[in-house]
Formats: sequence, C-alpha cells, structure tokens
Amino acid sequence: MRSQSGTAAPERTDDPKEHNQTIRPRDLLTKEDHLEIFKLLFLARYFDVRLIKEKKRGRLRGTLYSSHNQEAVLVGCLYGLRPDDWISPIHRDMPAFFLKDIKFKWDDPARMGMSIEELCAQVWGKAGSPGRARDNWSHIGSKSKHIIHSTSMLSGTIPAAAGVVYADRLNGGDVIAMTLNGEGSTAQGIFHEAINFAAVHKLPVVTIIENNHWAYGTPTHMEYSQEDFARRADGYGIMGLVADGQDVLDVYDKVMMAVNHSRAGNGPSIVECKTFRAYGHGDHDDDRAAKYRPEAEILKGRERDPIGVYRQYLLEKGYISPEDAKLYIAENKGAGEVGNEDFPPEVVAYLSKGIDYALTCPVPEAEEGGMWVFKEGGR
Amino acid sequence: MSATVDVPAQVGVKKNYLTALKEALFEEMSLNPHMICQGEDIGILGGAFGVTEGLQAQYGAQRVIDMPISEACIVGSAVGMALNGKTVMAEMQFIDFISCGFDQIVNMMATYHYRTAGEVNIPVVVRGPAGAYGGGALYHSQMNESWFCNSPGLKVICASTPSDAKGLLKTALRDGNPVISYEIKELYRRNDIAEVLPDEDYTVPFGKAAIRKAGKDITLVSYGQNVYHCIQAADELEKLGVSAEVIDIRTLVPLDEETIFNSVAKTNRVIVVNEAPMTCGFAGEIVSRISTKAFDLLDAPPVRITRLDTPVPWVKPLELFVLPSVEKIVQAALKTVKY
Repeated sequence: MRSQSGTAAPERTDDPKEHNQTIRPRDLLTKEDHLEIFKLLFLARYFDVRLIKEKKRGRLRGTLYSSHNQEAVLVGCLYGLRPDDWISPIHRDMPAFFLKDIKFKWDDPARMGMSIEELCAQVWGKAGSPGRARDNWSHIGSKSKHIIHSTSMLSGTIPAAAGVVYADRLNGGDVIAMTLNGEGSTAQGIFHEAINFAAVHKLPVVTIIENNHWAYGTPTHMEYSQEDFARRADGYGIMGLVADGQDVLDVYDKVMMAVNHSRAGNGPSIVECKTFRAYGHGDHDDDRAAKYRPEAEILKGRERDPIGVYRQYLLEKGYISPEDAKLYIAENKGAGEVGNEDFPPEVVAYLSKGIDYALTCPVPEAEEGGMWVFKEGGR
Repeated sequence: MSATVDVPAQVGVKKNYLTALKEALFEEMSLNPHMICQGEDIGILGGAFGVTEGLQAQYGAQRVIDMPISEACIVGSAVGMALNGKTVMAEMQFIDFISCGFDQIVNMMATYHYRTAGEVNIPVVVRGPAGAYGGGALYHSQMNESWFCNSPGLKVICASTPSDAKGLLKTALRDGNPVISYEIKELYRRNDIAEVLPDEDYTVPFGKAAIRKAGKDITLVSYGQNVYHCIQAADELEKLGVSAEVIDIRTLVPLDEETIFNSVAKTNRVIVVNEAPMTCGFAGEIVSRISTKAFDLLDAPPVRITRLDTPVPWVKPLELFVLPSVEKIVQAALKTVKY
C-alpha cells in the first residue's frame, strides 16, 4: 500500500498472513470452480457488449452504464457468497443480478439470484421485470432473493444493508450484506454514517469500492486525498483491503477474507478493487469521455483485460490447454469489435434466452403507473 | 427491571400527551416481538424528552438502540430492518433534524413499495417532537410536514390530544407503510389537556378528522397545537355572537375531506390554520381541495392563517409575531363572516 500522508504508513492490511490465513481462499477452489469463473467472466462481458449493441440499435431506453473491463470485480466479489447472503449492486453492476448464486446452477429457478429472463425483462422495460419496470435498469432487487433495491443516490443502500444484517443477527442468523459502490460515492456523508453504525455494532457489512478512477467526468485526485480506500477502514477500526480489480482471483481472495472476517462477528469490512472503466460514465457519455480522458490512460487500462489476465493464469496452471485457450478471444477487444464467435456458445445461448423472453413480454398496463403507492391492509 | 415503567396505568387517572406516547410504545413493543426502536439518546437516557424512558430497561439494548448522531442512518438502517421483517420506530430527537435524513426518507423509504410493485413494504414510523411557541428558535421549532406530504408513499400524522397521540401512534406502528409523525412538544406535558385513556387496546384510524367544537357560522380547520388556538378563538367568537366549528384533521395523508366538506356545507365559510410557512404549506392544500371540490359551498374566500414565510425566530415577541395566534384567527373570522 502506498501512503500519501506525512505520517507513518499503517501496517499493511492487504497481506493474507496478517489475518492468520496461511491458506488463501483461492487455494480451496477446484478446477471446476476455475473453469466456471472463467465462463462467468465471459458471461458478464457478453451481457455488456450485447446490450451495448442493442442500445446502439436504438432498442433500449434509459442509460447503459457499461461494466466492460470490470467483470473480475463482479465475479470475484460474488462467486464465494452464500446463496442467502444479501447484495446491493449499483448502476455499473448489471451482471451482478444474475451472477449472485449462479455457481453451477445457471438455470435453477430456485437459486437466490435473478434469472436472466427477469433481468432482460427489466432492461427492456417489460412486465416480466421483478419491479414491473417501474424504475429503470439497475434499480431493481428482490426481497426473496436477498438483493437490496438501489436508488440513484449513491452509497444510499449501505444503511439498508446494515439494517438487514442487524435484523438477521437479532433473529440468530449469520448472513452478510455486500454493498457495491463506486469510488465517487465514498464522498457522500451516508457512506461514513452507515459504516460507522455498522462498525459500532460489528455488523457483517462488506463494502466493496469499485475504484475505476473516474466519477462520471471527475478524476480521482479531485474526489479524495488518500491513495488507498483501505486506510479509511482504520478510521472505523475495521478491516480494509486492496485488491487488483483486473485479477479475479485477487478480488476473490480479498473479498472472501473480508466476508469470512465479517461473518465471524468481527465487524464490517471494506475492499477496494482497483479497476478501469472502459467507456464513458454511461453510453450517453462515451463520445465526451473519449475527449476528457487521456488516451494514454485508456490504452494502458485496456492492456490488462480481466479475461486475458485469468486466461493466462489458467494456462499456467494447466486448467486449460493451449488449444482451448485459443477458442474464444473476447479480451482486449472493444464492444464493437467482438462477435458471438468470441464467446463460449453456452454464454451466448444463456443471454439470448433472456432476451427472447424479454421481447415476448408485454409492457405493463399504463394504469400500473398509479398503483402500489401505499400498501393496503396493514403490515 | 420494570421499576422505571409507569405503565400499565392506574384506571381513571388523567394522562398527558407524553405518557400516552410512551404507553403506545410499550404496548406495541410488547405485542410485536419484531419491533425495534432506535434514535439518538433513546435508550440509556430515555430520550431527550423522556418519551422512551424505561423502554430499554424493559426490552433490552438490541431492540431499543442508542444510535450515533445520524438521522440518515437512523432512517436508512430502519429501512433495511423493515426489508428483513422488522417494524421500526425511528425517533428524530427534534423533527427539525429530519432534514439530515431527507434522502433516505423520500427516495429510499417512501418509494420502496412503489418501485418494487408491491413486493416490499416498509413499516417504519419516523416520529419526533415538533412545533414552535416554545422559544426553540430556528432549528427546534419547525413544522416541515409539507415536505413529506409532497412525497408520495408517506403517511403524515399529527396528534393534538393524548388519546389521539396514543391511538394514532399505535395505528402507525401497525399500518405497514412509512409514517411521519409530528408530535407537538409544547403539548407533551400540558396538564390542562390530560385525559383518561381507554383501558383496552385501542387505535385511532387514519383519515378520520375530529370535530373539536360544533358550530354553524364558520369552519376552523387545523391540526397540532393550533387546534387549541382555534378552540380558544371559537370561545371568544361565541361571546361575539359567531358560532365557529373546529375541525382537527389528525392525519394529513390521508386527509378526511368528507368531514371538512360536510362542515363547510353547513357554515359556507372556512379558515385553515397551521404553523408552517404559508407558501406550499398544507393549509394551502386544504384550501385548494375545498376550492376545487366544494367551490359551490363557499360564501366567502377561504382564508389561510399560517406562519409568515419566515424561519421561526428565537425571542418571544419575534416568535409570536410570525406565528398564528388566537387574535389573528378571531379577526379573520369576524371579517370572513361579514364578507
């Protein structure tokens, strides 16, 4: 960890040995796990590039906040969670809705994650959306699947996450709540207020900071003055870790250390995943982003594509053969440069199934706009 | 353990507004094992005004939580608890401080049922001491209820009597929707309004106004402590030969239009009194509904008597200058009946 302050740097908190973990979480993953994670990276990427294309063709309303190049954060954060753990994704985390509890059961209707059909119905603004398309894109969730519904007010779900696990602890449970946040939202007062509350009560709230170094059009040096968000954790007396957000296994290691730590009753934790935003803030911003962001930075960021980083690891470990490694190459390509042939066929089929469902789904009746303001009939 | 608990009460004893609130909380905490109370200083201290005195001793620190000074987190975490099956009473130490939790209330809490197409409902009651006339100055005197009446998804209530304070709070805690409750701190310990409360478990329904004094010449519509100003004004008007009917709406959202319209049908004249600023205040909403839905009933222009469009100043002459008063109501009534 680097420190910009004049005082002595705090003890490293990102070294697994600091937490008496001689075995890293990744060491417990099987070959099947690794191949599943690899496929999930493709699935997250495919979801993004397919929607970018649909959006460009004018088939979708609203704004697409691309998660391109940030897939390792999403997959690494969600892969090791228990099905009954709670999450709260934000606008750039659309794949998180189906990545929750997807491991080896993509098509299981009972899984505690959103089905690809439900998610596509939401994106297309159809009645099959879990929120019946009342709010747009990522502003959905599911009480039964333990996904907290976000608003546009960033960091705004961290107090809800704390409340959810407070209630769970009162009931004798041991779930954790993971909130996903951009680094820009850490400037909000509610970020501090909620984590402070969680720390006081040692609540298992795992706060992920997806640091892609741009808050819409504002670079990091205008957003905060620390080099690493992990040091914020020191202020609350909680665990803070930094992960390489382009390396899915590093994300997995740090996140699972934090999850295990928090679940065990040691209080909340913060994991900062340093990553790179491939495009604009939203698709409406792509053209301007190409101007306000230095070209050298974009080129450098694209060099470390999370799919490519992981492919190299799998090759070195012998989990995939050199022949397998050449089959599907989606990495280091822009959304407009990839085709279906760059992705495993089961990935293409999975999303296509969701889109087919969304296209056949009706738009909600207009009168629904006036419904569900109040619940009738008491609590 | 229950030494500090002054409930259940003795039969036949008059109780003040604050005791009535306290009884509601004790009873609902006892009836609903999934209820949580949280707020600043509500546990060890028993609340800045003592509304929650004895509650933590009775129900434990896990269900009666002393929160860090963060209204946003008090509300926001309550939303999460509700999402996971709890009913929450969230106390604002003063209702003025509710602005620090504004986003969590209007964007997170109020809209939850709507944006989930009914999957989620949020049984959270945000309650706190409100109102002026006590020298509380700018930040301990507010009536900011119109902010929340203008945020769909919230119910807004304001009790003026001990029996309503208890009955409305119990209804709020069973309602299933987020409720903002304006408690009038100047009424908390007023002995002259103390009442004998029903022995049985009772509630006061939302959306049902109370006629505090019957009359036939003019209708005075109000809520909170201005109800007493209206009653006093009606008494003075009576001496001057004018019969005023006083309606206490009790709940703003939902609003009992029927009782108001029935009264105006009888009197054909109406004055609405509240202590919030006039512009975009709830008095304007009531006048608007009368004007649009019951225009033919009116023989005179409806009148609003509200706080001036100013903050609430500190020292007494200034404070009283900007607020509604018995005198202002009487003068306006005399003018309106002669219109």
